[in-house]
Amino acid sequence: MDRREALRRTALLMGGIISAPTIAGILNGCAAKPSLDWKPQFLSEDQASLVTQLADIIIPKTDTPGAKDVGIPGFIDLMVKDVYSKEDQQKFLDGLKAFDEDAKKEFGDAFLDLSPEKQTEYAKKTHDAAIKENAEQWPFILKVKELTVAGFFTSEAGATQVLQYEAVPGAYHGCLPLAEAGNGKTWAT
Amino acid sequence: MYLNTESEKQNTYDAIVVGTGISGGWAAKELTEKGLKTLVLERGRMVKHPDYPTATKDPWDFPYNDRLTAEELKDYEKQNRTGYTVKQSTKHWWVKDTENPYTEVKRFDWMRGYHVGGRSIMWGRQSYRLSEMDFAANAKDGIGVDWPVRYNELSPWYDYVEQFIGVSGQNEGIPNLPDGKFLPPMELNCAELDLKGKLADKFNRHLTIGRTAHATAPLPHSPQRGTCQFRNLCIRGCPYGGYFSSVSSTLPAAEKTGNMTLRPNSIVYELIYDEQKSKAKGVRVLDAETGEHLEFFAKVVFLCASTMGSTFVLLNSTSNRFPNGFGNDSGELGHNVMDHHLAVGAGGEVEGFEDKYYTGRRANGFYIPRYRNIGSDKRDYIRGFGYQGGASRQGWHNMVKELSAFGADLKKIAGAPGKWSIGMGGFGEMLPYHENFVSLNKEVKDKYGLPTLTFDVEFKENELKMRVDMQKDAIEMLEAAGVKNVYGYDGKGAPGLGIHEMGTARMGKDPKTSVLNKFNQVHACKNVFVTDGSFMASAACQNPSLTYMAFTARAANHAVEELKKQNL
Repeated sequence: MDRREALRRTALLMGGIISAPTIAGILNGCAAKPSLDWKPQFLSEDQASLVTQLADIIIPKTDTPGAKDVGIPGFIDLMVKDVYSKEDQQKFLDGLKAFDEDAKKEFGDAFLDLSPEKQTEYAKKTHDAAIKENAEQWPFILKVKELTVAGFFTSEAGATQVLQYEAVPGAYHGCLPLAEAGNGKTWAT
Repeated sequence: MYLNTESEKQNTYDAIVVGTGISGGWAAKELTEKGLKTLVLERGRMVKHPDYPTATKDPWDFPYNDRLTAEELKDYEKQNRTGYTVKQSTKHWWVKDTENPYTEVKRFDWMRGYHVGGRSIMWGRQSYRLSEMDFAANAKDGIGVDWPVRYNELSPWYDYVEQFIGVSGQNEGIPNLPDGKFLPPMELNCAELDLKGKLADKFNRHLTIGRTAHATAPLPHSPQRGTCQFRNLCIRGCPYGGYFSSVSSTLPAAEKTGNMTLRPNSIVYELIYDEQKSKAKGVRVLDAETGEHLEFFAKVVFLCASTMGSTFVLLNSTSNRFPNGFGNDSGELGHNVMDHHLAVGAGGEVEGFEDKYYTGRRANGFYIPRYRNIGSDKRDYIRGFGYQGGASRQGWHNMVKELSAFGADLKKIAGAPGKWSIGMGGFGEMLPYHENFVSLNKEVKDKYGLPTLTFDVEFKENELKMRVDMQKDAIEMLEAAGVKNVYGYDGKGAPGLGIHEMGTARMGKDPKTSVLNKFNQVHACKNVFVTDGSFMASAACQNPSLTYMAFTARAANHAVEELKKQNL
């Protein structure tokens, strides 16, 4: 797409108030690239954007909130920053880089420059291959999935809207018809 | 340190209890209820029911998905070895290894919490009686020393403590797992009931709901406790008082008598021995907050500082009479360390029951009592093991490696209860070996400058042979029950991982081979009672806390009777 032209027009419409570096930044990226509404503490802006897209592809917004809506990208950034060991941090960053480079090899564009459809296609393909390979060391895509899943289903929206959650059940019934077990969804805890 | 007679008088009580965990709480309750002015010393900070800081938080209230940061983990390198205990929601209950070091000749997982209530706050709550078979086992096998006590002597004390703490369970009439005074049992779920039936049919083995110290009905004698709410957040402390801890149960009972003085931040590091009277006079205390050294005096001292805690105090209390540690004429003090060996068993997937589910979070599972080396069954090892296990439907944790769980489908799949899975892990008896021991280490000091402990403990041939059966039998039972994709595991682990350390001041009939007599009194100094796990002459394979409670109540009763007779 001719996004450079589109951006120039936008800049003109806005009376040139977008600074030159910002335009350069946008031009180096993709129009589809999300603007980060959170400030990464560990990842770079580009890395954070990639993780944000990926998390939201893994758990998108449907009739219930998705990964981005509940702050999973920021959660991943913090987990890698504070919970991961130095060694695991490096593996995560290396994995991210390889994930992006493989996208370039396959589609000729960095992940963030791909159309949303292509991003999803590539992520799903990488994901399926990783699960089939079943390597002892989880590749980047599964680490992001692990963090996304763990963060999402322990978030209030994930636990209460996609799953069901009862803070104080008060009793245990061991063998009920599924329809009588709350709303029949999986218990969050 | 100089103490004038006035302050000595101020620091004098009828009884001193060291420690506030399972055993200390019981000693405090019994001694105060029998009218003794009792000083209860706890090395850690104060905790009062129902103030548990994380108890009512939701999953999303914790940062880092409840995990410790890499930086925080540096303080809990050993405490974290269980993999399940130290989290954002529970880290305040575990000691920092950096402040409380110990030395391992061989790996030993020593899990501790220093605060009022001790590990009674985080304990697993499984409560089983030892049986006549267990008390007679050492004599029968010629192992260690014979227990100086038999089941019939202890049975009324089991009744007594069960009724006070509230134990939920099912009487089954199994000779080697005696029935008790139980509150209503919790329910088994569909998959567990199915397994129970099949084990009875195919193996003639029992499966019963776990016997657990949860109030499944009100306990009128403990109005501060409510009933179990099935939240399964017990390890954080229960503001409902749904399970037994010292903080929710025995310490409030002691408090109510008006006879208890509870002093937290008081590290007992030594017993004071009176050479003239051949009695313990009291204890020396380091105030953890002020650094002050203090002395307290009493007619009787109950050491309930946990197995290793009490053993440390005894080893660190030397005198002309006891140059090798207090009451250590036998040379057995610190020796015969036992635990239960675990982290071995099997699991798999249960077919069917797709239209069934459960409500509530049952902090309990099923129990398969020991069946090995009973009756005509003879193995290439002695003693045996029980299993604890449970079944549940898989949830979101299984999404990561689920191929079809991606995008909008992931939510759909996660929202529908997954397959039933079932698992069981063995709890095996570990024998007492003199060569398995802890010793005082004066080179390595803790943050208060006190000596520390060195562990030299390992599993030996009997345990390793038993583990083969523990895995094999679990696989065999699950497969026979029709469970699919059965997998066995043996996580090896290390002593200590069961968090049931015991045996370092064993009781016995002969002062030459044991440290304590049948009433938990130090043979050579009868006004010192040791009633935590250190008295255990054998480990059996049942979770031991209920037995510590029964022996503690019995010992306290004996102490008061002996005081009345002026024998102490």
